[in-house]
Amino acid sequence: MSKRDPSTALLGFLFTPPPWTRVALLPLLLLCALPLQAATAAAPLIPPQDLHASDWPGDTGHAVYLSWKVVPSDSDAIEYVIYAADDPAGPFPEEVIRIQGNERHLPAGKFPFWAWPKRRDAHVVRIETIPARESREGEEAPRKAPLESGKPYYFKVVVTDGVQRSESPVVSAIPQGNLFNWNRLNNLIYTVLFSVLILWFIARARRRDLYLRRIPGLDAVDEAIGRATEMGRPVYYLTGRNSISSISTIAATVLLGEIARKVATYGASIRVPHTDPLVMAVCQEVVKQAYTEAGRPDAYQEDINFFVTDDQFGYAAAVDGLMVREAPAACFYMGFYYAEALLLTETGASTGAIQIAGTDAEHQLPFFVSSCDYTLIGEELYAASAYLSRDPVLVGTLRGQDAGKALLVLMLMLGVLLVTLGTLFGFEEVATAALDPFKVF
Amino acid sequence: MPFFRRTLPLVIAFVTGVALILQYYIPHEASEEFLTQLNDWLIVIGVFAFLLGIYSLGHVHATRIRRQAAGWGYSVVMFVGIAIGLGTGIASQGEVTTPDGTLSSFGWMYDNMLIPLQGTMFALLGFFVASAAFRAFRARTLEAALLLAAALLVMFGRVPLGEYLWGMLVGVNAPVAMRDIVEWIMNTPNLAARRGVMLGVTLGAIATSLKIIFGIERAYLGGD
Amino acid sequence: MRWLIPRLLNLDRRIIFLAVGLAILLPIVHPLKLPGLKVTQAVRGVYDRIEALPPGSPLLLSFDFDPASKPELHPMGVAIVRHAFRRDLKVIATSLWITGAGLAEDILQTAGREFNKRYGEDFVFLGWQPQPINVIIGLGQDLYKTFPRDYRGNDTRALPALQQVSSLRDIRYMVDLAAGSPGVEEWIVYGADKYGFKVGGGATAVIEPGLRPFLQTGQLTGLIGAMKGAAEYEALLAQPGTATAGMDALSLGHMLVILLVILSNVVYWISRRLPG
Repeated sequence: MSKRDPSTALLGFLFTPPPWTRVALLPLLLLCALPLQAATAAAPLIPPQDLHASDWPGDTGHAVYLSWKVVPSDSDAIEYVIYAADDPAGPFPEEVIRIQGNERHLPAGKFPFWAWPKRRDAHVVRIETIPARESREGEEAPRKAPLESGKPYYFKVVVTDGVQRSESPVVSAIPQGNLFNWNRLNNLIYTVLFSVLILWFIARARRRDLYLRRIPGLDAVDEAIGRATEMGRPVYYLTGRNSISSISTIAATVLLGEIARKVATYGASIRVPHTDPLVMAVCQEVVKQAYTEAGRPDAYQEDINFFVTDDQFGYAAAVDGLMVREAPAACFYMGFYYAEALLLTETGASTGAIQIAGTDAEHQLPFFVSSCDYTLIGEELYAASAYLSRDPVLVGTLRGQDAGKALLVLMLMLGVLLVTLGTLFGFEEVATAALDPFKVF
Repeated sequence: MPFFRRTLPLVIAFVTGVALILQYYIPHEASEEFLTQLNDWLIVIGVFAFLLGIYSLGHVHATRIRRQAAGWGYSVVMFVGIAIGLGTGIASQGEVTTPDGTLSSFGWMYDNMLIPLQGTMFALLGFFVASAAFRAFRARTLEAALLLAAALLVMFGRVPLGEYLWGMLVGVNAPVAMRDIVEWIMNTPNLAARRGVMLGVTLGAIATSLKIIFGIERAYLGGD
Repeated sequence: MRWLIPRLLNLDRRIIFLAVGLAILLPIVHPLKLPGLKVTQAVRGVYDRIEALPPGSPLLLSFDFDPASKPELHPMGVAIVRHAFRRDLKVIATSLWITGAGLAEDILQTAGREFNKRYGEDFVFLGWQPQPINVIIGLGQDLYKTFPRDYRGNDTRALPALQQVSSLRDIRYMVDLAAGSPGVEEWIVYGADKYGFKVGGGATAVIEPGLRPFLQTGQLTGLIGAMKGAAEYEALLAQPGTATAGMDALSLGHMLVILLVILSNVVYWISRRLPG
């Protein structure tokens, strides 16, 4: 029997290994292959690039934002997890927010182009709260604490695909209250422009007469008051349901001065039931002044203006009762009204009174139009004092309003044209950005 | 006295008006706090003004009772109503239920008087709409006829019976359902007109506000 | 015929009132069960959102109406709260109208008893406070500071139903039932736009058209309009209530007004054509 040469034996083992070795080698080979597979299937994760944290612009100072570049590997298989702490050394115990790699979180459409560049190459995440240090006993979910203004916060962003993790360096930001909301720059420009327009037309009205179109409801005022004088029945004037801070109520009180002056001149009587004590106090002064200017201070009575109730239907019921008992010859409904409008006007109509209404409550306009003889729609109420007095200052304001409306119509037409052309010729993004100056942010 | 009656109110109106305009553009917390404080002051002033209202109410009705003017009985009812409402409210400490869960006297008044009375007044609108519609919805001109047609369509289409009758008329599978017609009327011409009115109203409101802030409109101050 | 025309043109209002009264009362006394109720997309917009909320999540409701609007908005409120309880949502309610507080409490108690829900654990009524806009902004900043105590005087921090919510930022969806102002617009402008939650609306017939622009722009996910909208919501829940019962009266009332208007116009045209 000859001995086997060791080298021959080795070669033989390697090239023709016995069966037990194949079984033993297989798992070993597989284990060696795994990292190779992983290496070829998933490239190492790129940590967030160009990460920076800043105060959120144009707010009260309780938010910051993080921004980092979009990379080609961003997909829905990748997640970015943001951690926060109030100490740069941490700890960063809980995540603040988690977004998928294909989410941009850009405030698209929510901010105008002059306040926030419309970028598609960055992730932007707004942070308003961080996990609270303390939670209440028995709470299931961790509480969140809002960011405090002026306090520095520290953030890090971790990118993960469920297996790998890659962390960014820690960045910091201090939320601070801002002194100007740049999103509203367009609004400020329009406010200034409109104010200048109004003042310019007022100056122009002082130099020459400006044309005002006829408003039938206001032409009928003299007729209504004359009727009341002949019939010996009172004129009722209502100032609406809103408080003195409402523009329509202010317009109604100004018009009351004109109406009261005519009533005093004609020698008729007027009653003004109120639902708001502040409005009543203002109207008392207005009516007293009107009687004095008409040369009839002796005819003024303190009870012309009286408080009824601030309850909507209580007021309607009380005034309806007064109308049925006193049968006014003329009723004026000026100001802002709610559901009680038709209750008042139908009762007034049943007494045979001539009725003139003026309101900017567009949901009550149909009721006024159907039950009153004349209705001043919307801004015609604001124009009323200018129309009746023909004061140059007031008429100039009216012309300024009309100029503003013309500008608005031009903007609307321009906007429609831009969006239509943008859709037809494929430049929607440019068209949408061009519309930003006309939007509210 | 002209300083306190004319000049000082105008200065206050100007300063407050400009401050509130600027407040809208300044998001800082101090600006928001200023607005909150101003709103709180408005409540306080409103409460004092309410006392004026109560005085006016008492004075007017007491005079009517003293002179036994027409309808003076209602003035008596008014005083009795105030007394009962105030009395039960104070006795119940403003609570509608007692600590053991039953209805308090104040709660009883709310459930059995205020709710039915308010509901009754609101229900009157249904009757008044019918009589106003009968009197006013007449096609005197072409525009009125168009408005009338739209109104009838919307009234017809806003109730289940209208939908059903339309289905019987044109078939259940008709391409255009009644509610589609109604939705189009409400969402297109109606909304366009509303928006037009709202635009004009808003501009008018801005102009009136500017007039008051700059002291151009002073009628609200009354006389000297 | 000639004698009839002026009488018809100036028909006594009392006859019209009587006709309207009969048209409304008869179907309530003797239900006709008229067909034709179809659910609109606007109402579905609210239903689907609530349906999509996970069980246990908070739903904010604001009952901004007074007793006068009870016939339209009360059934809406009951239907929505029933839906919320069915979905095991935590209902957090408030009211920006002082006269709405009693109605809100009534709705919550009614639906709560039906579903064996417990106050404090499953639902809370925060109550009313003055200055509605300040209330909304305050809720957006800190609910416990704005309402340290609820309507019944309980410490809000101790209520299990409020555990997940410290401010409006923790709310995903709210429904506002409004009869005017303050109402839906205020919740959108001072709440949703600032704090990022979605809003569904319920409104009376008078103000519902004015809220359509918000529906068009997506600021409202849905809008339940008047009693018909409430009946549609009840149909979605397959639980008819007072709104469904009122549909017959609504249908007959509308048809009567249409007939009166047509009669008025026919008589008017005849009168214009008659000589003299």
